[in-house]
Amino acid sequence: MVSIRKWLSLVLYVMLVGALLAACSSDKGGSTTTENPPPSNEQTDTNTPDDSKETDNPPAAEDGPVDGGTLTFSSFTDIVTINPIFINDTASSDAAHFLLAKVYDLAPDGQIVVEPWSLAAELPEISEDSKTYTVKLKPEAKWTDGTPVTADDLIYTIETIKNEDTGSPARSTMEKVAKTEKVDDHTVKITLSEVFAPFQYSLVIELAPAHILKDVPVKKLLDHEYGKDPAKTVTNGPWKWTEWQKTQHLTFEKDPNYWGATKPHIDKIVYKIYADQNTEVQALLKGDTDHTSAIPVVQVEAVKKNSSITLIQEPGPSYEFIGFNFKEDNFPDKFVPFATQKTRQAIAYALNRQGMVDNVLKGTGVLMNSPFLPGSWADPGDNAVNYEYNPEKAKQLLAEDGWVLNEKTGILEKDGKKFSFELEYNAGNSRREAIAQVIQSNLKEVGIEVIPKAIDFSIWVPQHLNVGKYQTILLGWSLEDPDPNADSIFSSKFFPPAGQNMGWYKNEKLDQLWVDGYSTIDQEERKKVYAEIGKEISTDLPYIFLYRYGNATGIGPRVAYAEEDAPVPTLPKGYFYHVINGGSSRNVRLLNR
Amino acid sequence: MTEYFIRRIIQSIVVLFLVTVVTFAIIHLAPGGPTEVLVAPGLSPEAFEVQKRNLGLDQPAHIQYVRWIGKLLQGDLGKTFKNSVPVGELLWPTIGNTFVLMGAAWLVAMVIAIPWGIYNSTREYGLSDQTASFISYLGFAMPTFWFGIILQQYFSLKLNWFPLSDMWTMGKKGDIGDLLMHLVLPVCVLSLAFLAYYVKYSRSSMLEVLQQDYIRTARAKGVRENRVIFRHALRNALIPIITIIGLDLPMLVSGAALTENVFNWPGMGRLFVDMAIAREYNVLMAIVMVTSVMVVIGNLLADILYAVADPRVKLGRKGGDTA
Repeated sequence: MVSIRKWLSLVLYVMLVGALLAACSSDKGGSTTTENPPPSNEQTDTNTPDDSKETDNPPAAEDGPVDGGTLTFSSFTDIVTINPIFINDTASSDAAHFLLAKVYDLAPDGQIVVEPWSLAAELPEISEDSKTYTVKLKPEAKWTDGTPVTADDLIYTIETIKNEDTGSPARSTMEKVAKTEKVDDHTVKITLSEVFAPFQYSLVIELAPAHILKDVPVKKLLDHEYGKDPAKTVTNGPWKWTEWQKTQHLTFEKDPNYWGATKPHIDKIVYKIYADQNTEVQALLKGDTDHTSAIPVVQVEAVKKNSSITLIQEPGPSYEFIGFNFKEDNFPDKFVPFATQKTRQAIAYALNRQGMVDNVLKGTGVLMNSPFLPGSWADPGDNAVNYEYNPEKAKQLLAEDGWVLNEKTGILEKDGKKFSFELEYNAGNSRREAIAQVIQSNLKEVGIEVIPKAIDFSIWVPQHLNVGKYQTILLGWSLEDPDPNADSIFSSKFFPPAGQNMGWYKNEKLDQLWVDGYSTIDQEERKKVYAEIGKEISTDLPYIFLYRYGNATGIGPRVAYAEEDAPVPTLPKGYFYHVINGGSSRNVRLLNR
Repeated sequence: MTEYFIRRIIQSIVVLFLVTVVTFAIIHLAPGGPTEVLVAPGLSPEAFEVQKRNLGLDQPAHIQYVRWIGKLLQGDLGKTFKNSVPVGELLWPTIGNTFVLMGAAWLVAMVIAIPWGIYNSTREYGLSDQTASFISYLGFAMPTFWFGIILQQYFSLKLNWFPLSDMWTMGKKGDIGDLLMHLVLPVCVLSLAFLAYYVKYSRSSMLEVLQQDYIRTARAKGVRENRVIFRHALRNALIPIITIIGLDLPMLVSGAALTENVFNWPGMGRLFVDMAIAREYNVLMAIVMVTSVMVVIGNLLADILYAVADPRVKLGRKGGDTA
C-alpha cells in the first residue's frame, strides 16, 4: 500500500514538473514563429511594378492584374453541398460561384446575359408562342474530368430538380416546364406549360453532371458524394475544388485546363469559415481574410476606422416590411383596425423610415417603396408612392377615416374599439427588435398602440407565418431571383398553404396585373405592367415597405478591381460580380502592400 | 475491486441509456425541426414533406429513437440531415481540437494554481494571498468572451504579437510552433477561469488540513515546516483536488463554446452551438453521448484515484479488502 501511495506522489510530481516544462517549451516554440511576418507570405511572387493604393482606378493594360497568389474569402457558415440540385444556402452558393459555371449570368440591371464564362453560347431563342426556349451550350465547355458539358447535363438538371421525389429546394423554378428535348449534343428545347416570363431566370443555374449522376436514384442523390467529396466532384468553372476541411475552410485552385476563353488570375482561393460574423469582421481587420460579405451593422463603424478596407455599404437584394394581416379571425371582436386604405397610408406617413435607416441601420439601408429590385429593369422608380415622414398628415388622415382620440388613454378609437395591434418579429434579431421599438414610438405619437412581440423563429415560421395567424409582422424578403414577379406573396391565388400571401391580402386589380406581368415575354410590355403594380401596391399598402437592408461588404487592401468589375450589391451574389472575369478576374488582383 | 468495477460499469450503461432517452425527448420536444430550419419561409410545402419523408422525420419520436439507438449499438452515429455527412466526420476532429485547447488551459491553470494555493495557505491574507483572491474574483466575474475580445484587440490587432484566431495558419497545419502561437490567447482566457477556481480550492483544502491534529503533532515533534507542508499536509490536501480534477475531465472535451467562437477554434463547443441552431439531432445526440461518457469515466477515475491516494477510502460493497 505504501508503495502505491509513493507511486502516486511520484506521478503527481512528474505531472506537475512535466507540465511546467511543457509550458516553458511552449514559450520557446512561440518565439520562433513570431519571426514570420503575420499572414500571407506566399504572395511575394506578385512583383507588380505598381504598389500604389489607387485601387479605384481601372488598371491600364500594362499594370493589369497579376497572375498567381492566394486570396481568402470568408463566411460564417459552412457549405452544405455544391450539388446544384440541392443548393439552398449562402455558403454553398458562394462556393458554387467559383466552381461551377452557370448557363446564363446576370448583368448589373438584372438582365440575363452570356458572359465568356457562361455555359450558354447565346441568349435563349424563344418561340413565337413564347412557350419554347431553345438553349445552345458552348461546345468547348468541359467538366474537370475532360467530359464535355452537353445537352444531357442541362436536361438532367432540369428534370431532376422538377422531380418531386428529389426534394430539390429549387423545384418551384422548374414547375412550368412541360418537357425538355435534346436537339443535338449542345442544344436543348424546353417547352413550358404556359407563357411564363420569369422562367428566363430559372436558367441562371449551375448544372449537375449527368454522366456521373444519371444512374443514381433521385431519393439517394443527397447521399451521393457528388457535391461533398472534392475528389469526386467534377466541376466546370475556372477553379476546381481541392479541399473541404469541414467547419474550417474550403480551397479552390485555378484549373489549368479551364475551357473558358478568359482565364482566372488568382491561383488559389481559400473560402474560410468563421464561428460568427463578429469573428469574421475581426479577421478582416487583421488581414486574415480579404473579403467578407457579412459585416453586421453594429460593426460598420469599427471597419470604417480602418482606412485600408473598402467598405461597400449599399445593401444587398433584401427588403424589410411591416405586413398587415387582413383576416378578421386574427383580431379580437373580428375588428381589423387597418382594414381601410386611408388608415394604412396614415401609418406609412407616421413612420420615420429615414430615421430607421440612419439610426438603426447606420446608413446600411436604402428606402423601398415597392417590392422590386432597385436599379433593375423592372424598378418602377417614381411610379411608386414615397411616404415622407409626416405625423401631422397621418393624424389628419386618421381623423378623416373616423378615428377619435381618447384623451384619457391617448389611443385612437373607432366605434368604441381602440387602435391597437401586435407586431411580431423573430426573437434574437436585434435589428428587428430596435426597429419594432421605433415603430412603436412613432405610432404612439399619432395615437396607435403597437405591442411588439418577439417569437422564436422556429415557432414563428410554421405556427404563425405559414398559416397566416398574426396581426402584423416585421419581416424581410430576399429578392434572390431578379424577376419582378411576386404573385406568390401578393396574389389572392396564393393564400396559405398554397403560397406566401400570409396576410390574406386580396386586391383584384393587382391579381390581374400579376398575371399580365408574367404572361408576356416582351420586356417593354412587362415594364409598364410593373410600373402599374408599383403604383397600385404602394397606394393600397398590403405591406409598409420599409427599406432595403443587409450586411455591408468589406474588401481588404490586397484586392483591387476595375470599375466595370466592381461588386454590384443589388444582384444576387453581386459581391462576387465578375469575380471570374478573365481579362482581369473581377479584377481581384494582388497588390504589393 | 473487480466486482466494484463491474457494478460501476453496469450502472454507467444504465445512466448513459437514460441520458439518451431524456436528451432525445428534450431535443424532439423543442420547437422546430431540421426541415423547418432548412427551409426558409417561401418554399413549397410539398418539398417540405418530401424532405421529411426522405429523412425519416415523418415518423413518431419513439420510432425515431429506436432506429437511432439501434444504429448506435452497431457503432453508427448516423448522418447529418441537411447533407448526409457521417456524424463522425464532423465530430472526431473537433474533439481532438477541443482537447488540445482545454488540456493546455487546464494544465497551465493547474501548474500555477496548485502551488500558488498551497503557498497562500501558509501565508494567509498575505500579499500573495490577496492578489490571488483578487485574480480569482476577476476570473469568476469576467465574461470569458469579453476578456477574449480585449486580448485580441490589444495583443493581436494592435501589437501583432499573436494570431487573432484559428488553430493553424493556412497551410501550416501540423507545425507545432504555429499551434502554440495560436494557443496563447485562448489559453490565457480559459486558464484564468480555471485558475480562479483551483487556486481557491487548493488553498482552502490545504488550510483545512493544516488545522488537523496530526499536523499539530508533526510540528510538536519538531518536524521541519517544509516537511510538514509537503510530506504531511500536501498529500492529504491533494485528495479533494483529485476529485475536482476527475469531475472536470469532461470539460476537456465538451469545450467552451464562447471562447471557441471568439477565437474561431474548430472545437466541439462551437460545433454544438452550430448544430443546435441547425437542429442536427444526430450530431447533438453524439456530442451528448461523448460528453456523458466522459462524465462517467471522470467520476470513475476520480473514485479510483481517491481510493489509491487515501487508504481509508474503500471501494466495493463491503468495504473492499482488495484496496
